[in-house]
Amino acid sequence: MKRLTLRLGLLLVGFNLAVGLLTFFWTPHDPGAMIGGRLSPPSWTHWAGTDRLGRDFLSQVMVGARIALLVGAGATLLGGAVGISLGVLAAYARRGLDDAFAAALDILIAFPTLLLAMLVVAASETASLGTAILAIGLAMSAIIARLARILTKRVLAQDYVTAARCSGLSWARLTRTHVLPNILPTLAVALAAQFGLAVIAEASLSYLGLGAPPPNASWGTLLQQAQSTVHRAPIGVILPGLALVSLVLGINFLADGLRDLLDPEREGAE
Amino acid sequence: MTSPLAPRRLSVSRRALLGGMAGSVLLRVGLSSAQAQSADPAADPDAVIRIGSLYEPQNLDNAAGAGQGVSEAFNDNVYEGLFRLTDAGSVEPVLAESHEVSEDGLTHLFTLRPGVRFHSGGALTSADVKHSIERVTAEASRSSRKRSLSTIAAIETPDELTVKITLSRRSISLPYNLSYVWIVNHEAKDLTSTADGTGPYRLADWRRGSALALDLFADYWGERPANGGAVFHYFTEAAALDNALLTDAVDLVSSVQSPDALAQFEGDPRFTIAEGLSTTKQLLAWNDRIAPFDDVRVRSALAKAVDKDRLRQAIWGDRGIVLGSFTPPTDPWFVDLTAVNAHDPEGARALLAEAGHAEGLRFTIDTPNYDPHPITAEFLKAEYAKVGVTVDINLITANEWYTKIYQQKNFQATLQEHVNHRDIVFYGDPDFYWGYDDPEVIRLIADAEASATEEEQTEKLRQANILIAEGAATNWFYLNPQIVVSKVGVSGYPVNGLNAQFFLRGVAKA
Repeated sequence: MKRLTLRLGLLLVGFNLAVGLLTFFWTPHDPGAMIGGRLSPPSWTHWAGTDRLGRDFLSQVMVGARIALLVGAGATLLGGAVGISLGVLAAYARRGLDDAFAAALDILIAFPTLLLAMLVVAASETASLGTAILAIGLAMSAIIARLARILTKRVLAQDYVTAARCSGLSWARLTRTHVLPNILPTLAVALAAQFGLAVIAEASLSYLGLGAPPPNASWGTLLQQAQSTVHRAPIGVILPGLALVSLVLGINFLADGLRDLLDPEREGAE
Repeated sequence: MTSPLAPRRLSVSRRALLGGMAGSVLLRVGLSSAQAQSADPAADPDAVIRIGSLYEPQNLDNAAGAGQGVSEAFNDNVYEGLFRLTDAGSVEPVLAESHEVSEDGLTHLFTLRPGVRFHSGGALTSADVKHSIERVTAEASRSSRKRSLSTIAAIETPDELTVKITLSRRSISLPYNLSYVWIVNHEAKDLTSTADGTGPYRLADWRRGSALALDLFADYWGERPANGGAVFHYFTEAAALDNALLTDAVDLVSSVQSPDALAQFEGDPRFTIAEGLSTTKQLLAWNDRIAPFDDVRVRSALAKAVDKDRLRQAIWGDRGIVLGSFTPPTDPWFVDLTAVNAHDPEGARALLAEAGHAEGLRFTIDTPNYDPHPITAEFLKAEYAKVGVTVDINLITANEWYTKIYQQKNFQATLQEHVNHRDIVFYGDPDFYWGYDDPEVIRLIADAEASATEEEQTEKLRQANILIAEGAATNWFYLNPQIVVSKVGVSGYPVNGLNAQFFLRGVAKA
């Protein structure tokens, strides 16, 4: 079973990744070219029809994969780097500082991602892919930091770590040799799950006009634009919706598969 | 494409642009030449009319930035004016029984209709009229007509039913401008949350975020309305509003947002679709104060670069009409100027080269983040790219638009829908957000207002209209259609939504 979810996850994510990469070299039509009629139905020329401006819809949805993966990966990298660094550092901190850090994380986690994104956009005066990555990454970093802190503290409480510290091992080396190897598998699973959430968050931000600015064909933007034409051209909602579901589902499967693979206890249980 | 001069029906249209913002300069209105639908004789006189709307008032005072929602619900329903802008676009007296003008046009004498009572019981007097006008012209007023009424030098009240207005200069539009002024009880307090007018309906209840109910005013001086009251149900989403009509939660939707949403109602015998012509103009405004938009060659080139008809089709399908200037066909000073700076990409390139931009040009369009602006901006980006112009699109909220563009004038180009009736006068104000400053246009607009006759006014504004088109002051694209959907059996509703008004008194439900 665990192999199946992993394979399904790899398949779906791999497909989206392949489509996203392909768009750098090829799309059925130029996604910005107004070459068709208004809301043309699917045809041999335009497999998924056209939008209101007569642009090829399939090409736009394909470009959307690139944006979703870019923002998802960017936010996960940012959230992971900031979150793990802060979490590990906090675990080494003195009790009072550590408690304050934990409280600050709780506050940050309680802050809705969308609200945080609005603040980031307001601070930068303009919405862009960068602000979307920053906002989602920052929100994610709090979750990752909390997890990293707990995991690190757990590792630091082990007898062999105490022995290593007594033998004079520096904290940097301790982190490199004992802490990170022990916490990274669990964090990898958490980051994979957060990747899926980041993709949804990006679509939500774009839907609200706070994500990728036009003419970036984010799936959220495409869904927003198709809202008023859903009765005339339902494919405008169905296709980006399916694409979004396939990527997020794939990422979730992948996270599940990774967890099964990296968690020896679960393997034993099976 | 629909003929601009065909008889039409129409009403208040779609999404608020600057709901609740000061001045409501961009209040969306509609206009058509047709009359209101005639009421069904089999109608129930006590039926309560349920109207679905996207425009909940921000507050209940049109001099306090309440937005177009309060005009929709209250104009001529709860509050009346000395004059009314009728559904057909003419101005007729309401609370003014007579109006005399001196030879020099500077003194206007109004006699008030006797026997008129406010909802709170008091009689209408000249003091109320004086108070009501001064409320609109006051420093703190956020009325869109504050500037138009600035010609008023003095208001006197010789007796209880006589008002004498002295002007500093002749103003042929005074009755028209007074139609924007609600006559309120001068003793009324806190009009932002209560109401005390002379109209046929009283405010019964306002549940913020949900609905506003009006019931009949028993002591109304005029004819009893054809219904027993009305409830405005407010929605924030057009799809939810359309669904409310489909599920019989409302009787009428006055603002179907796109031609595609009509697919739900077309061919369904339960509904009537009325299409009209609004005064809502989709445009791209340049900041004419700054380079390169202070150069008429650049503005003309950018106008020539856009296939307006294709844009109109993208947004409205086979509805709406292409504009050549700021005036809709229903304005008396309309001239068909679509041939001026018509679509000509080659000509656009040549003009840009002549203006020193042969290598191209780059600018940012501040774009309201709601439909149809983002997709319009994408269209423009593609069109301008064809003539070597690069456009960056910056999405902003309606509030940001108001602050950044309207107040601070901090922009290069911006998309917007202008919905006011007879709003060519904005080009006579160099301090307006787009900063168009042509002395000849300013003179013509000022002279038009000081005209002795309507013919003279029309001729001067017609000339101003031609000048702003030739100067490519703004890039005007198309005029929205007005689409109203109602349940079969609902009749007599206003078909023209001038200044967002929704006259209730004639609406009947079988």
